[in-house]
This record gives sequence, C-alpha cells and structure tokens, in this order.
Amino acid sequence: MSPWLALSPLLVVGIGSLTVMMVDAFSNKKDDLSILSSAILIAAAAIAGSLWFGGLPPQTPEILAPYLAVDAMSQFFNITICGGAALCAMLAGGYLREHDLERGDFYSMLMLCAFGAMVLSSATDLVSVFIGLETMSLGVYCLVAFRRGSARAIEGAIKYFLLGSFAAAILLFGSALLYGATGHTDLLGIGQTIRNGNAELGLALVAMSMLVVGLAFKVSAVPFHMWTPDAYEGAITPATAFMSVVVKAAAFAVMLRVLITCFGDPLSAGAASGWPPIIAVVAVVTMIYGNIAAIYQSNIKRMLAYSSIAHAGYILIGVVAAFRVQNTAVSAVLYYLMAYTVSNVLAFGSLIVMGTRGKEAVTFDDLAGAGKRHPMAALPFIIGMLSLMGFPPTAGFFGKYYVFNAALQADSGMHWLVIIAVIASAIGAFYYLRVIVYLFMKDPETGAPQAVAMKSGYVVTALVLSAYFVLEMGITPSNYLKMALAAAAGLV
Amino acid sequence: MVATYLPLLIMILVAVALALTLFLLAVVLGNKNMTPEKAMPYESGQSTGDARHIRLSLTFFLTAIVFTVFDIEAVFLFAWAAMFRELGWFGLMEMVAFMLILGVTLVYAFRKGAFEWEK
Repeated sequence: MSPWLALSPLLVVGIGSLTVMMVDAFSNKKDDLSILSSAILIAAAAIAGSLWFGGLPPQTPEILAPYLAVDAMSQFFNITICGGAALCAMLAGGYLREHDLERGDFYSMLMLCAFGAMVLSSATDLVSVFIGLETMSLGVYCLVAFRRGSARAIEGAIKYFLLGSFAAAILLFGSALLYGATGHTDLLGIGQTIRNGNAELGLALVAMSMLVVGLAFKVSAVPFHMWTPDAYEGAITPATAFMSVVVKAAAFAVMLRVLITCFGDPLSAGAASGWPPIIAVVAVVTMIYGNIAAIYQSNIKRMLAYSSIAHAGYILIGVVAAFRVQNTAVSAVLYYLMAYTVSNVLAFGSLIVMGTRGKEAVTFDDLAGAGKRHPMAALPFIIGMLSLMGFPPTAGFFGKYYVFNAALQADSGMHWLVIIAVIASAIGAFYYLRVIVYLFMKDPETGAPQAVAMKSGYVVTALVLSAYFVLEMGITPSNYLKMALAAAAGLV
Repeated sequence: MVATYLPLLIMILVAVALALTLFLLAVVLGNKNMTPEKAMPYESGQSTGDARHIRLSLTFFLTAIVFTVFDIEAVFLFAWAAMFRELGWFGLMEMVAFMLILGVTLVYAFRKGAFEWEK
C-alpha cells in the first residue's frame, strides 16, 4: 500500500479544511460551509472504513511507520472522530445561523482540530503525539472563544488555554525524560527498551506519571478537570459537543497507545505497581466527583460538563483493565468512546434544538414544560439522557456493560472499582432523569422565559443520525463490539 | 552522594534563612507611613495610571501574528536550504507542500482583511 493511500483520510481532512478556508474567503454564503465540511468529514470516515474493510496491509508503509500507525485502531478512531466532527458541523450549521454567529472560520477550525485529533489517535512517536495534541488543542481553544463578545466564552477559553498549555508542557517534559531514560522517541522502541531492562527505570517512572498527567488533563479526569465546566459553558454548544466527543476520543486513543505500547512490561503494568493503580485511583475520584458535582448544577451545559468528567472516569476503568485483559478492555473502551460520541452529540444537539435566538435553553428552569410544548424536540433529549445514564436499549448501557465486564475479568482486585462505578452511575441517574422531569412534569413559572424549539434541517439531520446510532448500537451491540475487537487486536 | 550535595543544601538553607531574616527585620524595625504612591501596585518604577488608557488597534496584533507565522516559515526555509542537496526531491516536495499551505493561509488572511489598516 502506498503511503498516500494509507494517509488518505488525513489528507482528505487536511486538504478539505484548506478548501473550506478558501470557500469561506471567496464566498458570501456561509451556511453552505456546514454541508461542505460535514460532507468532507463523512467522506474521510468512509475512506477510513473502506481502507479498513478492504484489507489493511500487515505493516504500515515504511516511510510512515515510525510516526503514524495505519492499523485497524487508527481507522476506528478516524471513523469515530470524523463522524463526530461531521455531526458537530451539522449542529453548527443550524446553531450559528439561528444565533447570528454565522462565521466561516468555525468550520475550518473544526476540521483542523479533527485533523489534529486523527494524527493524535494514530501517533506512534512522542513527536507526533505532541504535534497532534497541539494541532488539536490550539484549534479547540479558538473554538471555545468563538463567541468573541461574551465574557464567559473568553474566560473559559483563557482558563482552558493556560491550563492546557501547562498540561502540554508537563507532557512534553515527560516525553523528554522518557527519551532520556530510553534513548528512543518511538513508542515501540521505548517499550522494548523498558522491557529489556535497558532503561533508567526511575526516570521512566517519573516520565510515565508526567505523561499520565498531561493526558488526564485532556480527558478531564479529576484532579485535572478544573477547566472543564467553564470551557464547556463558555463555548457555543456545537463546539462543546465537539470538545466532549472528539477531543476525548483522541486523548483516550493516545493514552491507550502510550500506556500499552511503552509501559506494557510487567513492572510498569502490574496490579500493584506502575500505572494501573494510579489510573484506578484517578478513575474512582473522577467518577465520584463528576457525578456528585453534576447534581448541584442548574446550568445544563455545566451539568453535561460534569457528566463528561464522570464518563471519563468510567472509561478510565477500561483503561486500567487493559493491563491484564488487553483485548477485551481496549475493545470495551473503543466501544464506549463510539457510544459516548453519538450519545453526547445527541444530548447537546437536543439542547441546541430547544433554543431560538435570544431564547436559548441554558438552565433546567428554561426547559420546564418544554416537552409538552415541543414533544418532537424532546424525544431526542430523552434518548440522549437515557443513553448517557446507561439505560438498556441504548448505546450507553452496553458501553458501561463492556467496560465493567472487562474490569471484572481483569483482576479480582478490581471488583471494588466496579462496585464504586455502579454506585456512581446510580447517582448519575438522578441528574439525567431530572432533565426529563423538567421537560414533562414541570410547568414554567409565570413570567419566566420559555425556551422555544428551533427549526433547522441541519440540526434535525444530526439528531436523527445520532439517535439512529444510539439505538442501533444498543440493539445490535455485537456488530459494533466486533468492530472494536478487530480494532483492539491491532494494538501491540 | 550525600557528601557531594551537602554544601549545596547548606547554601540553600543559608540563603533562605538570610532572606527570611532580612524580611522579618524589615517588618519589625521599619516604620510604616503609607503614602498613596506606596499603596499603588509596583510596576518597576513606572507610575500606574495613564498607561492603561492607551488603546492599541487590534490590527496591530493581527499584523504581529501574521509576521510571526511568516518569520517561522523563513526559519524552516533556512534549515531546508542548508540541507537542500541531501534532501533532494523529497525535501523540495515537502517544502512546496508547506509553502502551499502557508500560501492558502496568506490568501485567507488577505481576503479577511487582515492587512487593511484603515477599516
């Protein structure tokens, strides 16, 4: 396979984003950009899919091999990232026009971020990890600040930018130490050196914890979550959806690659040594904190921000389990990420559809009685909330089921982790159901502003697509799990 | 190991102790008559007050950012030029791709009015 063919999903998104920039610069009709960019992203996802199912070569082309993997896992993430980004571009098509924010730079930035995320999820070298991470992050900082006049947006963006640069610096420091400890920058070489016992072990351990800190920041795990609620609240809703699905998916992809490929040796990946205990503790704190803090939110975007923190905690359980039952656990994490992508787009999309210009639904009170006034707009909201909660016929249920199952198979010491996770998700049910209670069982206070549902073909398309996948992944989960298993098998 | 670094430790301790002592002495012995000038934030001898009223045009920053981008481009061009023979066609193609991407951004910045000083 030629390197061009192997890189084609990346090239399509990269050249596509430049095309979108040019169209934006020379055309006055901005709303078509939404169709153009989602079409390009869907095309990239389709190319990734056909590369995968058309038979990947056993080896990545030599010229790419040290930096980017072209394996089943990277194609899985290409599909998830491009699909998620395409749905967000559709949401933006409706949202930006409704709220009079129509500016073309949103789409080119979104695609460049997706490009960075794709590089990050297939990176096999510390250098490409860092380049991918920064390409993705710099764009996301701008997306958060997209509503330039709003103080909240600027506050969120500055917080995210400062903390994010700090986290990136820690990650870079860790990478430098890892290079010092092993003499390699490619993940495979680092892994082999550590396994052969040729590495400076103390230094490698320090480097590992620094890398974990940097990546935990990106997935917004407690205690590196401080920026999440502010950035999620300040960003425009389609950008929030993008951050919560694409950035998270890419960060988990690189976390799996780094931890398993570099630190897969028995000492760094043991039940009581190395990264599994660290990540287990982070997972517990993240789940408990995320779920409890979400209860106290009156703003729905902040609630969803804490919910995304909580979900990062559940996914981290899968990451921990990967130290023993690698295939089962990695495939569970991949399935979860895909399920979370569609569920979260559905949740944020429903929030978008519940608002018109000047009457955006922001708090629970705004939603009071909205389900009675706009039953069709409330339907996707219900499906999204049930899926995030983990209710059976939806994608979210099987995501949790596979992750917990992997943890139970991994180690008897992990039972308590699963017990805490189940209790945490029971707490989570409270605030997800609260949305549905407000939609249908509350009447708005007299004189209070009432949310009015918008009419937008773009948003409806995105909602229908994501609702379809949420239900299909919940009804025939085995097809998707098979895909995830095939993707996980590529990771060594 | 310990013997090598012991002097360093002692030096750090002495430095910290000295700084603390002087600071505490100043707090205890110094007389404190507050004047408005003293109450102001210290900005390296500059008096605060007027400077924040100067408003800079946003175009200023745009130009600065665009300059930085193309300055960095020149840095990469130098490195490539130094290795031109070794890199051969591969390097040339890489550089053409790089320049093309930057060219697109230049056209974009131009069309978006980043270079119009008067708006």
